[in-house]
Parts: sequence; structure tokens; C-alpha cells
Amino acid sequence: MITLATEVLVIGGGTTGAGVAWDAALRGFDVILVERGDLAEGTSGRFHGLLHSGGRYVVKDPRAARECIAENRILRRVAADCIEDCGGLFVTTPWDDPAYAERFLAGCATAGVDCDELPVTQALREEPRLHPQISRAFRVPDAAIDVWKTVSALADGARQHGARILTRHEVRALSRDGDTVTGALAYDLRRGQDVAIQARVTVNATGAWAGQIAALAGIEGVHVRPGRGIMIAMNHRLVAQVVNRCQMPTDGDILVPIRTVSVIGTTDEHTENPDDQAVPPAEVDSMLDEGEKLVPGFRQARALRVWTGVRPLFQDDKAQTLPTRDLTRSHALLDHQKRDGVGGLITITGGKLTTFRLMAQQTVDLVCWMLSRMRPCATGSTPLPGSESGEHYRLGERLARKEAALRERQIVCECELVSRERLEAVLDETETTEIDDLRRRLRLGMGPCQGGFCSYRAAGIMHAHGSLPAARADQALTDFLKERWKGIWPVLYGDQLRQMRFDEWVFHAVLDVEHLPVDGDAR
Amino acid sequence: MRGALRSDVVVIGAGSAGLTAAIRLAQAGAQVTVIAKGSGSTQLAPGWIDVAGYMPGERAPLASPRRGIERLVARWPDHPYALLGVQAVKDTLAWLLATVAAGPLAGYTYSGGLDANMRLVTALGGLRPSACAPVTFTAGEAAGLRRVAIVGVPALRDFHPRLCADNLLAAGIEASAHSVALDLGRADASALALARALDDTRARRAFAASLAAVVGASDAVGLPAILGLHEAPAVHSELQERLGRPVFEIPTLPPSVPGLRLYEILRHALRAAGGRLVLGASVVSHERSGERVTRVDTATAGSPSGYEAEQYVLASGGFHSGALELDSHWQAREAVLGLPLAGLPREGAPRFVADYFDEQPFSRVGVAVHADLRAVGAANVFVAGASLPGAVPWREASGEGIALASGYRVAELVAAEVGATPAPQSSGAAAPAEGVGA
Ligand SMILES: Cc1cc2nc3c(=O)[nH]c(=O)nc-3n(C[C@H](O)[C@H](O)[C@H](O)COP(=O)(O)OP(=O)(O)OC[C@H]3O[C@@H](n4cnc5c(N)ncnc54)[C@H](O)[C@@H]3O)c2cc1C
Ligand SMILES: Cc1cc2nc3c(=O)[nH]c(=O)nc-3n(C[C@H](O)[C@H](O)[C@H](O)COP(=O)(O)OP(=O)(O)OC[C@H]3O[C@@H](n4cnc5c(N)ncnc54)[C@H](O)[C@@H]3O)c2cc1C
Repeated sequence: MITLATEVLVIGGGTTGAGVAWDAALRGFDVILVERGDLAEGTSGRFHGLLHSGGRYVVKDPRAARECIAENRILRRVAADCIEDCGGLFVTTPWDDPAYAERFLAGCATAGVDCDELPVTQALREEPRLHPQISRAFRVPDAAIDVWKTVSALADGARQHGARILTRHEVRALSRDGDTVTGALAYDLRRGQDVAIQARVTVNATGAWAGQIAALAGIEGVHVRPGRGIMIAMNHRLVAQVVNRCQMPTDGDILVPIRTVSVIGTTDEHTENPDDQAVPPAEVDSMLDEGEKLVPGFRQARALRVWTGVRPLFQDDKAQTLPTRDLTRSHALLDHQKRDGVGGLITITGGKLTTFRLMAQQTVDLVCWMLSRMRPCATGSTPLPGSESGEHYRLGERLARKEAALRERQIVCECELVSRERLEAVLDETETTEIDDLRRRLRLGMGPCQGGFCSYRAAGIMHAHGSLPAARADQALTDFLKERWKGIWPVLYGDQLRQMRFDEWVFHAVLDVEHLPVDGDAR
Repeated sequence: MRGALRSDVVVIGAGSAGLTAAIRLAQAGAQVTVIAKGSGSTQLAPGWIDVAGYMPGERAPLASPRRGIERLVARWPDHPYALLGVQAVKDTLAWLLATVAAGPLAGYTYSGGLDANMRLVTALGGLRPSACAPVTFTAGEAAGLRRVAIVGVPALRDFHPRLCADNLLAAGIEASAHSVALDLGRADASALALARALDDTRARRAFAASLAAVVGASDAVGLPAILGLHEAPAVHSELQERLGRPVFEIPTLPPSVPGLRLYEILRHALRAAGGRLVLGASVVSHERSGERVTRVDTATAGSPSGYEAEQYVLASGGFHSGALELDSHWQAREAVLGLPLAGLPREGAPRFVADYFDEQPFSRVGVAVHADLRAVGAANVFVAGASLPGAVPWREASGEGIALASGYRVAELVAAEVGATPAPQSSGAAAPAEGVGA
């Protein structure tokens, strides 16, 4: 058993937890963050990719809209490198209630979301694949945000200010001294050992899992009702800017361009289990139908993969006793001292990825108050590592960089232009044994061939570069194939089936992964 | 009337199935035209000839391809081998060995047969059960390996010698990993570019010298499959000579150098027999008269051309080549001639299952055929290769066996229809009997 001590322990390595760690470290607190998987392996790594302008909520939830636009403006400055400023449109399709457009315009004005109507002909010139019968179009400051870049930058920044980030550490118990939580007992999944962490304040930032962690402290009624949603990545940028249907938010009504692909989403189905990653065929089918309404011919376009995210929808069973100070309708900050008489523990859950910075700020404000050390928040004005220049990510940036260095740098993943050098650097940094971790850091294997070429190369490099035994490298490869397949088969048709058949020939015939050697096979 | 090119037989597809059928038919005196969208899978595949290596789901490899064929057929009565029979596969391999030996790459030969599977080293350090392989592979037969040096080339990202060697170690073969530079002036070099470089005499001498410095006391040397394209036999024997020990190639990711050699050999044989090959010709429509196809039209560089024939061979591959398609409603169709399919999962049954390593229900789909390989619903269309239903060749290690043998068999059937007589294998040129089991 290892024992560590810190001022602030953050449980959960999504954008919320990483944001809290960054904020607290910037304010000079000693911080440890524990995450049971890899950073952003939870909902954050399985979201839609949209930095909301707030437009989506102006009618339904104006407060959330106001938060979104305020955070949108801040993140464009401090997380510039994680954002592609592609812009966004709201369009009225023949399936949308035409009256909604006026309410939308009024809502934008009230919430302060910049919004300009543009002529339909102009919208169709900009987005020629859009349904030709759209009747109105509005421009809003939506953008695309790269979550892996964001979370890595938050963790790097926190580390630079002394924080310790421990991935593959699962919290299994909270320590209590009387009515006060004094830290947590985590299990280091990689080394197989217990780690006891003493902390003055423990922040539960486990999103859809927040109820499970609160229950470890014997706290009832932190009821996070997970809302499951699917998203499908299409192999092309079918649109160049975010396109939203101008209607009350519903299923399959947003298309987000992200790097070389575009993602349609999403659905919202209640589930009792935050680890539910089901992709029901009927949901896929209706998503493709919705796609047809935005972009005719959607079903003929190549679908790459589908995944599920689980929203942390907070429903407080003790609503009446809630301290309302820091609460907004879109996220929940719980001071368990006030709420349940349990000191030393805060829960922050719900919200949007777009508002993670605000959630972190409010959380650390409460930490300051609990530790009686008031220090001002600096995340609104301090750029994240990599974003110092204030320049947004541009599509084509990677290609330009790679092309300049083709003679010197080997490319391991051609689809996503990942160099061997970068891959080896990440191996050194993370000591990972999973190709899926490389995917999250580097986008390795996320392109059209879905790892057909690069996963074998990555396994070979992991083995040769580090101390990973051959059997473990083989396993990393087969694990990755299995993991990828889960997101591939529910949307497997057309050209992607053709690709996967080719991949099957490569893996089963050329490489024969199904029959890797075991002891003494040759004899 | 629109013009059309007339032949006795039109073969659609230039993979190993289509080329084999076309060569055999041309050798029998038929006028043959091969039309193909692209040059097929041969150039992507390792170049070894798998016939029957595994029962899907079983770990142990099949010791003998002959027995393997029998077991596959017993377990799956709709397997293509049930329509072909062991004898046709045996004749096909004998023909292939002879065709390669008589081909343009003097000294490049294949060996093997139906008696025993070789176990050939894969890039991952596994041992692939395969029936036949080129001379540049056979020193890598696992049974003969004692102390082997596996050597990579840093510029080739498609081969990782340490992983290969360490997995061989796990299998009980004493293997060590090494690396030797073959510098083409940039960080990445494809297997093809490296092979072309080694075709040059000076380059391969220098390479041999660097190899000699690292291979130590090994008694065999394994290299990625880059040992020359047009000069492969010379590159291979020169390395063996200079290193004083057997040298073998290990196939890597596509495109494949040994696959390209085989493709060139088959193409040469077709030309030598008087067959015609039109590449870049995708079949986009066809005409029928009742049960017979009377004409196919292709989009060739934008301008359509028509082809008419008595008989057609459909060797257009499967889902991997775009000959079969599945739409977003999970409805499948044969995209070339619109023929009915077989091997489909029941309506409403899953197409795929969640575990990648389980058998996918959709894997055995192909063009429905009668027992004589005639397409259901088209009396003058015969089907060969990966278009046939009933197999999971990538898991069975049966791809080339099915493709070559069905091409070979279809040629016999079509020859009978057009009144040509294929040369019986026994009278074929210089068939080396060596290795081909009786
Ligand atoms: C389908 C979908 C689409 C969305 N699209 C958008 C969008 O486009 N824009 C937007 O702004 N928002 C979007 N959201 C919302 C957004 O993704 C989430 O609000 C946000 O990612 C939540 O982040 P989080 O850090 O709170 O939770 P998470 O990212 O889930 O982080 C919680 C972490 O806690 C870890 N954890 C759990 N239990 C333990 C334990 N015992 N020990 C240690 N660690 C533990 C988990 O592994 C996880 O990594 C979307 C949500 C969904 C579901
Ligand atoms: C990456 C890879 C690895 C492989 N590894 C092995 C291995 O290890 N062992 C093994 O035994 N086999 C292997 N194979 C398979 C082997 O190469 C055989 O070629 C394959 O089984 C089928 O051959 P085929 O001739 O039926 O089809 P293909 O070789 O796929 O040829 C199909 C032909 O039809 C053409 N075509 C398709 N549609 C049209 C159209 N509309 N109009 C005109 N032409 C059309 C194509 O352009 C092509 O010329 C591998 C294949 C691949 C792709």
C-alpha cells in the first residue's frame, strides 16, 4: 500500500475533473487527480465535439444558453489551439416548425448569442450539400472543440503547476474521519496495488458516475440519471460548419465537422447504468434518416464508426434543501457539508463540455471557502499550454507540418498523420500498454482504414521502443481490434464494409492475428 | 447499333481467379478478353498459396491441406471446395507450379502441394499454414528453423523485427532481431521501393555486406519481403551465397512484392497464350436475352465500351473489391451483373456480431451458383474466386486455393461450352512433380 497526501483530491479525469485540477493548481493548491481509465475515457471522450454558441438552448433553457456563450468566448482565448473556428448555422428544414425561427431569433437576442440571418442562397453556397429546400438560415458562433487536446492541455498545465495526475487509478472507497471525508482509497490498476490518498478536500467530478462515488461516503440521493446518446462519424466533412436544425432540440439534429470527418448526433435515452454503451440498430437507422433531412444522400456517404456517450443528468432527490448559491440549471455543485452533513467532499456534475471551465471555477471557489484560503480564479485569462499564441487550429495544419518533414519523420498512421517520433514521445510520457490510449492522444487509427495499417505498426513500435513483452504487444493489437470493432459493426455498410473486408484480409491472412504463438508452437 | 468487341469468352476480374480462368481458356484456343476495374488482390496478398490452413475457431493448424479440404467440406456442405473437389485443387497447384517455372522470372519457382502445410513465418512472428510458396519463402519453413536472425530495415514501417523475433521465441524458435539500413533518402520507404532498389547489383552487394555484419552465428536469415522485383531470384541467391546460409522473405503489409511478382507472371502467361487484358474497365451495365447475358458495358476512362461473348466468367471478387455491396439498410446485392446471392443471414438475423473474433454471420455471402459453378439465373455466366459463397477464406487460410482452383475448374467447364479443349495438366510444360503430392 502506498500513501499519498494532498490538499485537493479530484476524482475523475474528464473535462470537469481536469478543469478543476488545472484551476486549483493555478491557484496554488496541491492537487492529485485520479482517473480509473485514461484521461477523457468517460463521457468527455465520447461527446459530439461541439463548442456550443448557446443557440441550441436559447428557447428551451436560456440560462444554459447564457453560460454557453460566455464560456464560448473565454475558451476561444484560453484554449485557442483546441478549437477549430468553423462557425455554425441554424437552418429550418421542411421538417421543422417554421414558427420556431422567430422564437429562436428572440431567444438569441435575450441570451446575448450573436445571430445573423443570411439569405438561403448564401447558406447553400457555403454548404452546397444542405437540403435545397431549407427556408431560413442563421449564423451563430458555434465551433468544434477537440476534447483530447483540451484534456491533455489541462493535465499538462496542472502538472506544470505541481499537480499529480494518476490515470488507471480507480477509487474504491472514501476515507472518513467522523463526519468528514479525508481522502480516498484508490487501486492502481496497472501495478495492481492499493494507493491511499489523504486530502483536505475531495472533489467528486465523476460525471455520470457521481452518484456511485457519493454512495461510497454513505450519501444517498445524489441521483445522476444517465442519458445515453449515440453519434456517428462520417468519413467526410459533409459540411464545413456546424449545422443545427432550427427547432426544439431533438434527436439527430446536429452535424459537426471535426478535422477530416463530420459527426451526426445525437439521441437521448435514459439508462440506469453509466457504463451502458449500447448502440441499438433502430437508433442508428433513425439517425441516418435524420441525416437525410440535413444532407440528402446521407445514407450513401461512408459511415466510419458509431459510439455512445452517457450524459450526467443530475436529479436531486433533496432539491428543497439545496444551497442555491452556485447552482445553475445546467450543472450541479453540491457542498455535502451543507447538504448531508458530510464535510470535506464536493460533487460537481451535470453541465456541458462547453461550460467545464465555469464548473471548475465554481468548484474551486468552494474549495477556497472550505479551506479558508480565498484565491482568485485565473483560468479565464491564462492560456492553456499550446494555446499561448491565441491561434485556432486550422484544418490542414498537420498536413503542412508533416509535408515539411517527410524526409526526416516516419509516418505511422497515414490517415491521421501521426509520426513515429510523436508516438514514441507519448509512449515515454504515459508508459501506456494500450493502443486505444494512443488513439485518444494521437488520433491514431481514427481515419478511414480504422487501424488497418497503423495498429500493427504501433504494436511493433510499442514492443521495440519500450519494455512491453511480445505477448503484451500482441494483446494490445488484438484488444484494439476488438475495441474498434464495437464501434464499427453497427454502421458497417457501403465502402466501409469494403475497407473492413480488406482489413480482415490483412489481419487474418497476412498477419494471422488469430493464431499468435503460444509456448512451443513450432515444435 | 453500338459497337462491341466480340470474344468467345469475357472474363470479368483480373485477380488470381480471373487470370487463371483466362489463361487456361486462352491456352485451350478460345478467344478471351479479361475486363477488370483494377488489377485485383494478387498484388496485395503475401504470395503464398493458402489452400486449407485452419478450421475457423480451432487453434491448431491443419496438418494437411488435402485433409483440410475434406474437413471444411464435411463441416460446411456449401463450401466452394465441395463444388471443386480435391483433384481439381491438386491439378491447379501442379499447373501453377509449372506456369511460374515457365514464367518470365527465370529461377523463380513455387513448391509445395496438398500433402502437408508448410508453416511460414509471418510479420508478427506467427506460423502460417500454407500449401505452396515461392522459393524466396521456403527457407522460413518452421520445421527447418533452428537459430534464425530476423532483420528489419528501419525505413520500412511495415515490418518490426523485434516483435517478429520475440513471438518466434515464444513459439520455441531461437530468434534474434536486428536492423540494417537501406537508405532511400527519406524516412519512409515502401516495400516496393526497397525491392526496386535491391534489383540494382551494387545496392544489393552493399546490403549483403551490412547484413553479414549483424547476422552472427544464426543458421538462417529472415527479411521482410523486399528481395527484388524483376531480379528476385538473383537477389535471393546472391544474399544466400554471401551470407553462407539460407535466407527467406517474410510478407508484410500491402502492397506486396511477392504478390506483384505472381501477378506479373500470370499476366505474362495470359499474354503469351494470346489473351487480352483491359484494365480500368468497370462493368456498369449489361444486356440479356432471357437467361443469357449477351453484352456487358464498361466505363473505360469515361467512355463506355461494349463487350460481347458466348460465355462469361464472373471473377470480380467479393465485398473487398466492390463486386458485392451492402447498403445502409443492410440489404446486399451483386453489383456487377445483378445476380442473386447465397449465404445471406436470414431476414432479421444479425449481419454482424459484437466480438471481432467470432464468425460474422455476413462472411459467407456470395453469388448463388449451381453445382457446375453456373450462376443461378444466368445460364452462360460461370463464377470463380472470392465471388463464390460458403467460405471464410481469410480465417480458413483458403483464399488463393479457392480462387485459383475455381478459376481453373471454370475454364474447363467454359471450354466445353465453347468447344475448346484445355491441355490436360499431365501434358503441360515441364511440370516439376517435386513436392506436389500424388
Ligand atoms: C451524446 C453526448 C453528446 C454530447 N455533446 C456535447 C457537445 O457537443 N458539447 C458539449 O459542450 N457537451 C456535450 N455533451 C456533454 C458533455 O460531454 C459532458 O457534459 C461532459 O463531457 C462531462 O464531463 P465530466 O468530466 O463531468 O464527465 P466524464 O468525462 O464522464 O468524466 C468522469 C470521469 O470519472 C471517471 N470515474 C468514474 N468512476 C470513477 C472511479 N471510481 N474512480 C476514478 N475515476 C472514476 C470516469 O472514468 C470518467 O472519465 C454531450 C454528452 C453526451 C452524452
Ligand atoms: C490484403 C490481402 C491479403 C490477402 N492475403 C491472402 C493470404 O494470405 N492467403 C491467401 O490465400 N489469399 C490471400 N488473399 C486473397 C487472394 O489474394 C485472392 O485473390 C482472393 O481470395 C480472391 O481472388 P479473386 O480473383 O476472386 O478476386 P480479386 O483478386 O479481388 O479480383 C477481383 C477483380 O474483379 C475486378 N472487379 C470488381 N468489380 C468489377 C466491376 N464492376 N467491373 C470490372 N471488374 C471488376 C477487380 O478490379 C479485380 O480485378 C488476400 C487478399 C488481400 C486483399
